[in-house]
Amino acid sequence: MNRLVPFAPRLETDRLVLRGPETTDAEAIMTFLMDPERAAGFGHIAPRGDAWRWFALLIGHWHIHGYGYLVIEDKATGCAAGISGIWNPETWPEPELGWVVFDGYEGKGVAFEAATAARRWAYTELGMTTLTSNIVPDNTRSKVLAERLGAWYERTYTNENMGVDELWRHPGSEVVLA
Amino acid sequence: MVHRDIPVLETERLVLRAPEPEDYPDFKATFSSYRSRFMGGPLNAYEAWMLYAAEIGHWEIRGFGMWMIHLKDTDETVGMAGGWYPAKWPEREIAWIIWPDRAGKGYALEATHAVRAYYYDNGWNGAVSYIDPKNLDSIRLAERLGAKKDPTAPSIDGHDAVYRHPSPAQLVNSQLAHGIEMEISHYSDPLFKPKGWAID
Repeated sequence: MNRLVPFAPRLETDRLVLRGPETTDAEAIMTFLMDPERAAGFGHIAPRGDAWRWFALLIGHWHIHGYGYLVIEDKATGCAAGISGIWNPETWPEPELGWVVFDGYEGKGVAFEAATAARRWAYTELGMTTLTSNIVPDNTRSKVLAERLGAWYERTYTNENMGVDELWRHPGSEVVLA
Repeated sequence: MVHRDIPVLETERLVLRAPEPEDYPDFKATFSSYRSRFMGGPLNAYEAWMLYAAEIGHWEIRGFGMWMIHLKDTDETVGMAGGWYPAKWPEREIAWIIWPDRAGKGYALEATHAVRAYYYDNGWNGAVSYIDPKNLDSIRLAERLGAKKDPTAPSIDGHDAVYRHPSPAQLVNSQLAHGIEMEISHYSDPLFKPKGWAID
């Protein structure tokens, strides 16, 4: 039973479960945010108090929009392997399909598998018809993954939080669900 | 989709309810303004939205949080008050903010008095308020609530002053509690006459 986001979905893929964030995920998410290298492309948050606040707003985002980041759980270990979902704080150009993989889960196709499931959820359950991903210019790993997901570079814009940022457009619901 | 268990508190002039998405523009206006300078502001639009989302998330994670203060008569919001305990906070805080164009009517006093009573009825045995030393209005309110500066208590960042609230026992049938209630009555009716006289 999910206490923090009772209405979050539970999505299953071959190797993963995507589910709503729970209190027990706070440490893994905060550890990621406080890691200057791993969180550079996502938004590094050095102070622990501010990282906790990000965890709190992750929960609030769900309650405001009815959607947000899901926690990627590795079926084999039961551990949190990252987050993926739809993110749309004020000032975002459009709802974003986002993904992040925690330390130790890179290079295994976890992000691809999770983002594919999250995108399908947005197109089927949330009624979205198009999605973008916001990628900072030097985050080449995310760009490679975006391309694997069939997305393409659309334009460069200024993100209120991240500065210069690229908007990548995903194939729409009519293509993904076809 | 805000948590179902957030209680509603009623006072003479106010209704305190969970922060809802539709209340966000009022919050944003204040947190984008100079008014928020003692609470980490002024914030840009991204930061203001993220802080509002954190206010809601705090309720879910901690089981308590900041209420939105509404006027009973018109339902308009005038500020927020409640419990605040993010990571790094040494102790649970009772916090408040009143929208700048609503200040001076005793709303913060009325709301925080009710909030503190609610938490004391629900297991809290004390609370503090962390206040910027330059935030004289809030220091004054803390003192009207009976809080006293506690120079030995750890602060958040070494810059803020810690005001310790009276304990639950000190607020039961005490002169302090009666004084606060009389002051609130005076705000809702400026010609309010107490039964008896305040003893100083």
